[in-house]
Amino acid sequence: MFTKRRNQQFAWLAILGIVGAVILIDLTVHHHAHFEGSEFTFDTLPEFYPMFGFLSAFFLILVAKTLAIALKRKDTFYADD
Amino acid sequence: MRMTDIPPAFVLLFGAILLAAAKGKLRWVLAFALPVIALADAWQVIDQGRDSFVTLMGMQLTPVHVHAATPVFATVFGIMLLGGVLYAFNQKREIELPAAAVYAGGGLGVLFAGDLVSMFIFWEIMTLGSTVLIWSGKQNDNYGAGMRYFGMHAFGGVILLMGIIIVIAQRIQTGDADPLAFRHMHEMVEGWNTLSWQSAGMWLMMLGMLVNAGAPPFSSWIPDAYPQGSSSGTVILSAFTTKTAVFTLLTAFAGVDILIAFGCFMAIYGVVYGILENDIRRLLSYSLVNQVGFMLIGIGIGSRLAIDGAAGHAFAHIIYKALLFMGAGSVLFATGRTKMNQLGGLYRTMPVTMWCMIIGGLAISGFPLTSGFTSKSMVVAAITDQSALMLEAGKSNTYLVLTWIVFEAATAGVFIDACVKLGWFVFFQKDSGLRPPEVPWNMKAAMIGFAGICIFLGVFPGPLYALLPYKAEAAAYAKVVYSFDHVMTMLGLLLFAGLSFFVLLPLMKRTETITLDIDWIWRRFIPKFWHDVATPILGQFKTVKEAVLEWLPGRAMDEADLPAPLRKRTPGTWAVSVPVLVISVMLLAYLLVYFWLVPTAG
Repeated sequence: MFTKRRNQQFAWLAILGIVGAVILIDLTVHHHAHFEGSEFTFDTLPEFYPMFGFLSAFFLILVAKTLAIALKRKDTFYADD
Repeated sequence: MRMTDIPPAFVLLFGAILLAAAKGKLRWVLAFALPVIALADAWQVIDQGRDSFVTLMGMQLTPVHVHAATPVFATVFGIMLLGGVLYAFNQKREIELPAAAVYAGGGLGVLFAGDLVSMFIFWEIMTLGSTVLIWSGKQNDNYGAGMRYFGMHAFGGVILLMGIIIVIAQRIQTGDADPLAFRHMHEMVEGWNTLSWQSAGMWLMMLGMLVNAGAPPFSSWIPDAYPQGSSSGTVILSAFTTKTAVFTLLTAFAGVDILIAFGCFMAIYGVVYGILENDIRRLLSYSLVNQVGFMLIGIGIGSRLAIDGAAGHAFAHIIYKALLFMGAGSVLFATGRTKMNQLGGLYRTMPVTMWCMIIGGLAISGFPLTSGFTSKSMVVAAITDQSALMLEAGKSNTYLVLTWIVFEAATAGVFIDACVKLGWFVFFQKDSGLRPPEVPWNMKAAMIGFAGICIFLGVFPGPLYALLPYKAEAAAYAKVVYSFDHVMTMLGLLLFAGLSFFVLLPLMKRTETITLDIDWIWRRFIPKFWHDVATPILGQFKTVKEAVLEWLPGRAMDEADLPAPLRKRTPGTWAVSVPVLVISVMLLAYLLVYFWLVPTAG
């Protein structure tokens, strides 16, 4: 199914299409505030969830890579246990 | 004796003995019948709703009692075991099924335990069954991993037992009518903020349960032990230990807010370590920690909707996590490999496994139309409800806002881990040249069945909501779960998290590495310290050692009128003295706890 180059390109285009559609549709949604009545109203900003998803995944990957500098070992590290 | 008087756990525990003795076709008939009978018995007992008692050593025990969360956990335990047996149908290892039955039987026993003593007994039976299940995997590092697993759970079990003993002693002192009861620890939760060593027993109980739940600093036993099972053994291993711990925490400690902190840490830890992991089954173990973290957050919030969310999420989680481990097991079965850098391009020949794993990956991330979406979001809703309550009471809601941020960020993280990363590196990416045939029919059937449950509960959450502890709250939530707002929230969050995976793809390149964890302290640092530092220093005190270990025991033996053969000092002296030392230290620790931490009456 994905072996043909044309189908692969189609799959990528479809994914990008969905991503684009989500951005457009999200503009029309009125997200309700999770913390109504407090000073935290950031979650009602337009496109908050796409941005939040992208940035949190981005940030988590960077945190992981930073951690790896100190803690990464060959997977045979404990082999003689 | 009526059927309802037999604890459902006994069906599996006695069944395990028969299963070990049975051969050929009978063995498989038994293997499929056991979960069905146990489930039927469990439901009989639940419908009846009546306790059964036995008297053991002067204690009145309640091995059959229906807790609020028992129906939902018992149902999923039965379904899980049935799916696991189907998946293991072509498995040659004969010890695996009886071990699985003992393991699940222990888990089921905990769900129905009405008193702390029976709860503890079943808790330990579960540890025994699962350790054998790990050893039956017969992989390289298997013996050591099994021992470490057993050691960890023996340690957690001792803490739990100390807690139970102290709690019972305290209850007897305060004139509790039912000192053995396994029930919610109201007396502790109300005074949580001022919790002192007065409540040591409850602290210890909670910590013992947290060890089994994979909470820090002991999260590493999950990625250490679970990937050591066979392709089918790991599927069953993933289901019961942590979820039984979730059940006990939910029953005894709902509303203890420090569990929110544990949960937040686990949610992030699971994602971060998962991002760095190369082995599929270790990655799935890390995401298991992440998911149990979500459940602990729900338990820590402790409102009715939060409890429903934690219990419902446990149900959904057991199914999709087993599905993901089945997919990983299928890849292992077909290729003999689990390292992502050695895999890739498997979509060509393993389409069923691929689609099932993608469905499992979507479910674990809470994608709309999957079971994760309808279960996990109850916890999110409970966080916001709780925040509103705090504001009404004029208190700060900041920690709930932070919890919410951690929860949503970890949701985005687990999507890139268990769905995008796994799918990409195993089934697409480069062509690894592997063209393995698709797995046998039974493995496919088990995967398709569990994938079906994931989607069914995502589209029709009603049957799951009807099993939850607080049905009215769940039914009310069912009306809003598929609001347009909520669906768009998750789509935006998850799709764009996936996008950042591909943006950072060069950073995600697989290497044959692991990431060190706190277990480095007892796997490397302490043994090395003992060998390189402590032993040479102790060598300087040879005379002291001789005096303590040889001269003193020798004198004692000379003094006592022992018969000649016993008086001989053999090389076995050391072999006895070490256990004696360990036991003495443990008794000392117990005495200290008993005298200092148990408050005296009045």
